[in-house]
Amino acid sequence: MPDLMHHILDAASVAAPQWLSERQNAGRRAWAASAMPTRKTEAWKYTSLHRLDADFAVAQPSVASQAELGFEHPALGGSKLVFVDGYLRADLSCLALPEGVELIRFADADAAQARQISQQLGSVADPSGHLFASFSDAALQDGIFLNVAADTVVAEPIHLVWLTSSREVAFTVNQRLLVVLGANSRASLVEQFDSVGSGTAFTNGITELVLEAGAHLLHHRLHLEAGAAMHIGGVHARLGRDSHLESFHLALGSDLKRIDVVVNHAGPGAHSSLNGIYLLRGAEHVDYHTCIEHAVPHCTSDETFRGVIGDSATAVFNGRIHIHPDAQKTRAQLNNRNLLTSAHATINTKPELEIYADDVQCAHGATVAQLDPLMLHYMKTRGIGAEEAQTLLSFGFINEVVNTIRIDALRDFLRPLLARRFASDPTLTRHLA
Amino acid sequence: MLKIDNLHVRVDGKDILKGLTLHIGAGEVHAIMGPNGSGKSTLGHVLAGRPGYTVTAGTVEFLGQDIFALATEERAHLGLFLAYQYPVEIPGVSNMEFLKAAVDTMHEKRGEPALDTVSFMKLARETCKRVDLDQAFLKRGVNEGFSGGEKKRNELLQMMMLQPRLAIMDETDSGLDIDALQVVAAGVNSMRSSDRSFVLVTHYQRLLDYIEPDFVHVLAAGRIAKSGDKSLALELEDKGYAWLEDEVA
Amino acid sequence: MSQQQIDRTIGREYAAGFVSDVESDTLAPGLDEDVIRFISAQKDEPEWLLEWRLEAYRGWLQMTSPKWAHVHYPEVDFSAISYYSQPKSMANRPKSLDEVDPELLRTYEKLGIPLHEQAVLAGVAVDIVFDSVSVGTTFRGKLAEAGVIFCAISEAVREYPDLVRKYLGSVVPRKDNYYAALNSAVFSDGSFVYIPKGVRCPMELSTYFRINEANTGQFERTLIIADEGSHVSYLEGCTAPMRDENQLHAAVVELVVLDDAQIKYSTVQNWYPGDAEGRGGIYNFVTKRAVAHRNAKVSWTQVETGSAITWKYPSCILRGDNSVGEFYSVALTNNLQQADTGTKMIHLGKNTTSTIISKGISAGKSSNAYRGLVRMSPNATGARNYTQCDSLLIGDKCAAHTFPYIESRNPSAVIEHEATTSKVSDDQLYLCQQRGLNAEKAVSMIVNGFCKDVFKELPMEFAVEAGKLLEVSLEGSVG
Repeated sequence: MPDLMHHILDAASVAAPQWLSERQNAGRRAWAASAMPTRKTEAWKYTSLHRLDADFAVAQPSVASQAELGFEHPALGGSKLVFVDGYLRADLSCLALPEGVELIRFADADAAQARQISQQLGSVADPSGHLFASFSDAALQDGIFLNVAADTVVAEPIHLVWLTSSREVAFTVNQRLLVVLGANSRASLVEQFDSVGSGTAFTNGITELVLEAGAHLLHHRLHLEAGAAMHIGGVHARLGRDSHLESFHLALGSDLKRIDVVVNHAGPGAHSSLNGIYLLRGAEHVDYHTCIEHAVPHCTSDETFRGVIGDSATAVFNGRIHIHPDAQKTRAQLNNRNLLTSAHATINTKPELEIYADDVQCAHGATVAQLDPLMLHYMKTRGIGAEEAQTLLSFGFINEVVNTIRIDALRDFLRPLLARRFASDPTLTRHLA
Repeated sequence: MLKIDNLHVRVDGKDILKGLTLHIGAGEVHAIMGPNGSGKSTLGHVLAGRPGYTVTAGTVEFLGQDIFALATEERAHLGLFLAYQYPVEIPGVSNMEFLKAAVDTMHEKRGEPALDTVSFMKLARETCKRVDLDQAFLKRGVNEGFSGGEKKRNELLQMMMLQPRLAIMDETDSGLDIDALQVVAAGVNSMRSSDRSFVLVTHYQRLLDYIEPDFVHVLAAGRIAKSGDKSLALELEDKGYAWLEDEVA
Repeated sequence: MSQQQIDRTIGREYAAGFVSDVESDTLAPGLDEDVIRFISAQKDEPEWLLEWRLEAYRGWLQMTSPKWAHVHYPEVDFSAISYYSQPKSMANRPKSLDEVDPELLRTYEKLGIPLHEQAVLAGVAVDIVFDSVSVGTTFRGKLAEAGVIFCAISEAVREYPDLVRKYLGSVVPRKDNYYAALNSAVFSDGSFVYIPKGVRCPMELSTYFRINEANTGQFERTLIIADEGSHVSYLEGCTAPMRDENQLHAAVVELVVLDDAQIKYSTVQNWYPGDAEGRGGIYNFVTKRAVAHRNAKVSWTQVETGSAITWKYPSCILRGDNSVGEFYSVALTNNLQQADTGTKMIHLGKNTTSTIISKGISAGKSSNAYRGLVRMSPNATGARNYTQCDSLLIGDKCAAHTFPYIESRNPSAVIEHEATTSKVSDDQLYLCQQRGLNAEKAVSMIVNGFCKDVFKELPMEFAVEAGKLLEVSLEGSVG
């Protein structure tokens, strides 16, 4: 058993609804059967868990006002749920759901909903393969269930904000989200994680996405937590026949972030596109592990991740494409590019192909480089100063990925926020807005 | 305006320019012609300060200043502009952001008031029209996925927006069809004035049918082998470059 | 292609699969310190080398076999292997090839490697290793004129103890990994090369490895030292008889490339791959590594078609500024063969550059993995790597994998990695067939084209041989 988080598991109370206890028990068994990852554990080769080796308490409800919390978030126009330290804050949330959409706490589930949750929960995120999915199960007391009925179109984005506050003691939050999109439904979802202040917090966040036949989801997972606000978790998706997932990922660095993105193409004709950005400075650490499973024929996947790593930060990217036997006619591609901007920064990247079918087209590429000296020179010949040219180019490097976001309000929110990461002096970003 | 004296330049350990001397007065248009590999493009790159181009001897004064004492962007601020033969693509940075950054900096350095966003946009759109470039190109990444001709027009667009004192056009005509060539020529001609000079680096005489040069120089083996007026270009068209190379050797 | 054709071609035998009728002294299976003392005594080794072996053995006992490679096989029973075998006729150490048992020489003639100097490919000197001993080395006189030392490593231990002691284990430490430790403990023979300062070796050097005896392991050790400013091109080839049991081959190759020197090391590996049902074949667990000093260049080229299991990562430690590492590889697996092969480029010096071109071809039910590491250390300012890994799949039951590890700690280092996977396209096949080629010939041509970036790195006569080898190895794979 990993030598971590004993308090949390002890405290994960019997308060969980009865129908969840089975999953909790299974999670505890999986957790107990797991070994503590070391540098020799392939999945944790470049990421140490030593920062979690501290006394973490279970988070208590916060009553801080929005002004006190003072976090930034985009106005997306649809329903918004805000959680502070894991607790839903009705006063900061608003619900405006069209017919056919349910957005509820597990704790409030009626019998039919409970049945649906227990059927799907854990069917996508495999606790035996993901240590922190088993931890999530083991500590499971509550979660959020988003259920979109077949043929329903949700026009406005559904916005979920998980915020950790700053406290005297280190504490943990167990975030769990289950999304089920019925056949031929369409929705967009923004998951935003953020932190306030400098306290130590650890969020274990697991999101499961179930896309039934022909469903279409625009998904965004933004990790804006900073400092000692740590996060380990992931997004696990299962795509039914002809379904379509576009998933955007962003991680600003903090002391520790490890995000697994697992997409299982389970029905023929499914398509996924993953786009991600990681930006690190200071001594931050971000580790993205993506895994694209092609289990059936005629699916396509497309993945682009870019990172800019400064100061003495360390980024890890592991992008696996796994083509199962008989998954013929698969087309899969992955591209990972990195910029190191300091002599002490580190990138470890590993794009992997594992292929057991022959009639497939797969490719991956990875690069590590500096800003292109010819691009810098070109900008200077137009009179743009060296520092501003660097800012424009660094931002341009990730802006290509930002431009894949289809929600204008979200893109407009992120652009200045990201641009500021590249310049100490605000005049350098005056042409980026 | 520009005084180049006895310029020697080395690239990748090879001497490319070997004692080039050329003086350009205000308002003049000079054409530099020459065979492939004679150092035509090197001249533009070394004046713009491209990394990897080492000046081993000689001096260049631009508007009375020693050009090699200035950083690339400072040369641009003084009014030097190089239109590239192969402009670099910069995905992720929109043409508009790029132009605004360049124009604002130029205004600032010249002590002119900054353009507000609305007037800038208006100017950018008008200039697009003048170079026959669809306005949609303003939103795209700099040169990203542009065709050869579109890139050349984008260079012209930048030149018009930045209003340089000296523009070096590096084979701007190559790869252009006749319509595009006329657009480029019209753009250059519209900008000719008594305090602005042009250097047209070209392989073919064709461009000079549309932009009439005051002087024509032939570059061979790293130096000016022959100078003359427009008729020299016609002579070259007729006889090729080989006889000149023999003369230099 | 018809079933009949498939059956016919699958039935084709491994051409190097015969057994030579040579009487041998073979040590009883099993490994303990006494075995190591025996091997050392057989070779009249000095005390330091015996101690060196014993230390490696003690280290090995503490280690466990690596599990990370993408290969599956039953645990190797190290007590069932004989660690030393030599032809009886070699007991008295023949002084020249003329004294070597004619049956041994015939073995090599059958393999197409005549050992009489007049018959040898012009300009290639050959050292022959048969089971655990070196049989003989050709062209020694001519090499000696240039000051080049090319001999069996057991002989080098006696004749050039200072060089051996200085460099043995300097590139691959005794306890580097499980199989290197085993090799360090029990290595029997192998080649030793020393090229003096400023010398360009006057001919290609070549070693030919042959496993003959049943139930023996082969643990050869190769050490090549290119002194400052010298050049050498070295080739190795390998075969073994067809046997139903798996045989272990755990070699270590160390290359020391001093300032301004160059070593080009080419391998055509055609160990017995096992039969179509996966019975028998060689377990090829090899550690190859080079250290390149200032301005030095190392080039590994390999064509891997044999062995039941290949576990091999010829690597370059680019220690000196401006040093260059290259890895060109073709790995072909068919039937139930498994390969996990690739390289490591460790950039330590400034402006070091490396190139990796890997071509994997999987056919039948085989599994073929590229595994590589490119590491830019904090001091590797201006370093560059370019990697291209391509996999070609032939048939729908095979597997192809790519596991490139990229680690950079220097902002000025540039790394580019690209990988693609594809099958022989129907369009390509159609085009070839439309031009009158049969399917098998067409595939063979396409595969050759796929590999040409690697073949062009091989010495001419090897390139031709490699092409033929691929053709033979692919037989029966086109359905």
